[in-house]
Amino acid sequence: MPDWKSEIRQLLAKLKLEPTREASIIEELAEHLEEFYEESLSQGATPATAWQQTLAELSGSELLGRELRRIERRHDSAPIIFATNRRRNSMANLWQDLRYGARTLWKTPGFTATALLTLALCIGANLTIFAIVDAVLLRPLPFPEADRLVTIFNTYPKAGVKRDGSSFTNYYERRSNIAAFSELAICREGTAVIGETGATQRAATMQVSPEFFATLGLGPVIGRTFTEEELTYQTDGVAILTDAYWRQHFNADANVIGQAIRVDGGQKKVIGILPPNFQYLSSDAQLYLPLSSNPTNRVPGQRHSGNSISMIARLKPGVTVTEAQAQIDAQNAALADSYPQAKMIAEAGFRSVVAGLRTDHVAAIRPTLLLLQAGVLLLLLIGSVNLVNLLLIRASGRTKELAIRQSLGASRRHVVSQVLAESVLLTFVGGLFGLAIAAGGIRLLTVLGADQLPLGAQIAFDGRLALIALAGAFGLGIIIALPIAAFNLRRQLANALQSESRSGTTNRAAQRLRHSFIVAQLALAFVLLSGAGLLSLSLKRVLAVAPGFRAEHVLSGQLSLPWKNYATQAARIGFVERLTEEVGQQPGVTAAGVITNIPLSRRSGKSAITPKGYVPQPGESVRGHYLYGVTGDYFAALGIPLRAGRLLDNTDLRRTERVCVVDEDFARRYWPQGRAIGQQLFLSPKQEAEAEASTIVGVIGAVKQAALTEDQALGAVYHPYNNHFDDKLFVVVRTTTLPESLGATLQTIVRKIDPELPVNDLRTMDARIADSLLARRSSALLIALFAGVALLLTAIGTYGVLSYAVAQRQREIGIRLALGALPSQIGRQFLTLGLRLLALGIVLGVVGAGLAGWVMQAILFNVPALHFVTLIGAVGIISVVALVACLIPARRATKVDPMIALRYE
Amino acid sequence: MLDRELKKGSAELLILSLVETRARHGYEISKMIEARSGGMLKFNVASLYPLLYRLEKRGWIIGHWIEKPGQKRRRCYKLTKEGKQMLKAQRTTWQSFVAAINQITGLENA
Repeated sequence: MPDWKSEIRQLLAKLKLEPTREASIIEELAEHLEEFYEESLSQGATPATAWQQTLAELSGSELLGRELRRIERRHDSAPIIFATNRRRNSMANLWQDLRYGARTLWKTPGFTATALLTLALCIGANLTIFAIVDAVLLRPLPFPEADRLVTIFNTYPKAGVKRDGSSFTNYYERRSNIAAFSELAICREGTAVIGETGATQRAATMQVSPEFFATLGLGPVIGRTFTEEELTYQTDGVAILTDAYWRQHFNADANVIGQAIRVDGGQKKVIGILPPNFQYLSSDAQLYLPLSSNPTNRVPGQRHSGNSISMIARLKPGVTVTEAQAQIDAQNAALADSYPQAKMIAEAGFRSVVAGLRTDHVAAIRPTLLLLQAGVLLLLLIGSVNLVNLLLIRASGRTKELAIRQSLGASRRHVVSQVLAESVLLTFVGGLFGLAIAAGGIRLLTVLGADQLPLGAQIAFDGRLALIALAGAFGLGIIIALPIAAFNLRRQLANALQSESRSGTTNRAAQRLRHSFIVAQLALAFVLLSGAGLLSLSLKRVLAVAPGFRAEHVLSGQLSLPWKNYATQAARIGFVERLTEEVGQQPGVTAAGVITNIPLSRRSGKSAITPKGYVPQPGESVRGHYLYGVTGDYFAALGIPLRAGRLLDNTDLRRTERVCVVDEDFARRYWPQGRAIGQQLFLSPKQEAEAEASTIVGVIGAVKQAALTEDQALGAVYHPYNNHFDDKLFVVVRTTTLPESLGATLQTIVRKIDPELPVNDLRTMDARIADSLLARRSSALLIALFAGVALLLTAIGTYGVLSYAVAQRQREIGIRLALGALPSQIGRQFLTLGLRLLALGIVLGVVGAGLAGWVMQAILFNVPALHFVTLIGAVGIISVVALVACLIPARRATKVDPMIALRYE
Repeated sequence: MLDRELKKGSAELLILSLVETRARHGYEISKMIEARSGGMLKFNVASLYPLLYRLEKRGWIIGHWIEKPGQKRRRCYKLTKEGKQMLKAQRTTWQSFVAAINQITGLENA
């Protein structure tokens, strides 16, 4: 008996069917052949003839193989049956579309990988920046009805003081008297020395008035808030702890209320514990203390003594900021005359501004963040355009398939839903990868210092971000699908069956669309490139600004002298004298000094100082100037040059007559002819007590006080420390060795003099400069990074479209070559196409770059909106990248073999 | 032998009709087609089984291995509910088609 099974097994071997299915088929067919063979024999055929006849049953077995392959494959890939769709429910349709989309994407791994990488990068970058924008600009502050919280600050623009704190007088005059506010409070950030002698540390504190917590709508969860009685110096021995401090130092003991803690060498009684995660704006305060004052601080004459106090208020429901502003303006006007120098204040342009608390807090960083978000959105736009182009190319290649489907009854709706499913699938998976990139990106930005931004501590990768990402990816999928679906639908059936095949010429509309997308990409990438150029130029120019001091080899640190132990001038002078002397004797130290406020410290209060006999011109305001107390070799330590006269030194601390030095900006302002030495200054515009006047003994170089980008020459006055006291001090040391290595020594010396005092904020001046440029440096770096990715995407896009054009026109190229065209002519044609697109892209890009530069003016430093050299640079870079992307396909066009091209199909 | 295309188009209808009343195995089906068509239509293994498998995949017929005492194990096919509907529809179409052809070719008046 012949072995039919082995015959059949041989036939089926190539198909690689599922084993049990294969066994079943073999058995069934063998059975059939067996029966046929036996029947032949029974009809009288010889075994050989019967065998021959039976084998004939398998004739056309290639048909069997082909059919089986088709049918059995369908087991894991359901047929796409359009005509029956109407009967299926929409979920099944969706599922089928998604499966089909997944299959087609899987079959083109190159395209899918490029698309997913593009999407992941673009979505990831957007999410990373959005996480910051969300935390800083969008999320409401963590207080109930936070949109009703406002801040009120004083401004004296004509005196050069754009922003000053509120005064105690402001507080006492305004609370309960402004109808627009349901609550009004004041607060002041500070530090305090806490802990036991020898193991003290400095902690951030917040001094607040009793209504502070009621204003925010969130107060102590254990204990109580401050009372009115606790607002004076003699009775303010109470403290409210944050949850973190309570857990760390009291192990979350609920009986802590009433216990004493050591603050600035004195005792404070704990009266309340704040809820977990309580944080006022960007403050990292661990203790809340009463913002106490004396009745003498609250009189009308003190109305314009700012004291770094912030004022916050809660608007009554339904009341607007404008209404509150009108009431504050009205009250200021009514009270104006009760201030002794009412005229001077009016001339300084005094006004109290009411602004949303969050808006005001993040106002400085807002333009930078918006710029970064715009930058990444551009990137996303380029990525999306790229993707649309790649999808369009694919769609063009599949026009025939689509037309056949349409002719078989696929509805227009189905064509659209199929495209949608595929693109949403793509963007969704891209979005998931993007989330992973964002998680890493947020960590990276934190390393770059994003958490130091206002409200930066809120930056987090959380469910909200993930939700936004996926919703965004979904939306993006729909947007990307639109042009593809439109393209597919617009193609008329008959038309589609004839054109856009490899043998025909390509459809003009499709081609034009692809080309315009390339132009758009080039233009957008150009905008990013030029933006990155402007930002780096701006950064370069900021870095080139001379700060007025020599930053290298200088270490600085902060101290504060608690009032309790340093209430007398003798005690204060004793401390700073000993400190500067002992530090100055350390090996490697060339100069050591102390100042009440160091440049770039972010504290930049100004005082109205006037030369003796100075009478402002009509309409001219009294000016605010920086005012410092210094001791030791401060000027030498920081490297500020002497221009005329002499510097201050420790002997000035005990001199009875008052002396001071001024900087050249101050001297030039009042004595343009250069006769500042010997002149006298009053610390108050009143110029009453002759003994209060101080004599200028020296003129020094001007220093950038608030920021390197400070453009107004405000002028500064330096007094000996005994004449201008502040409990906060900075010690400044110039060394010949590495300045950082001196940190521990500095701490030891301070502890030796006073075991209670810690030194903190130890940084070199170089580090202070770098930190002050954090936002500029990070944004230039990020935009440059975005521009790099944009270039890469544009190169991929240009290369993809031109390669496709070459592939499409292979037949045409073949014919032309066969008819005698030179390969170089063909290559030149594609190169010319690329160059034309590039030129158009650059023209549009320059327009876009001009607009972007104009918008960026707020954060650029001394850089015009259109900077010629930057533009030329951007043109150069984008041209090289685009040319490389064009050259490869153009070369490929010259390599087309006429015979193969014509034989194709 | 009928034209190949016509045969292919009508083959499904033939098979569905043959398994309408009872389950049949492949050899039986091929024999019946040959016999009933008077030798006009012939299916061999290579042409019949792909058709059967395709109809089975579509869910119009279903095959089961059946073992009867004293007989060989065979795979028999019977019509499914969906197959019945399909057969009904195909019969109607076929009849209309034949009627139309007849009308055109004038057989009706012959």
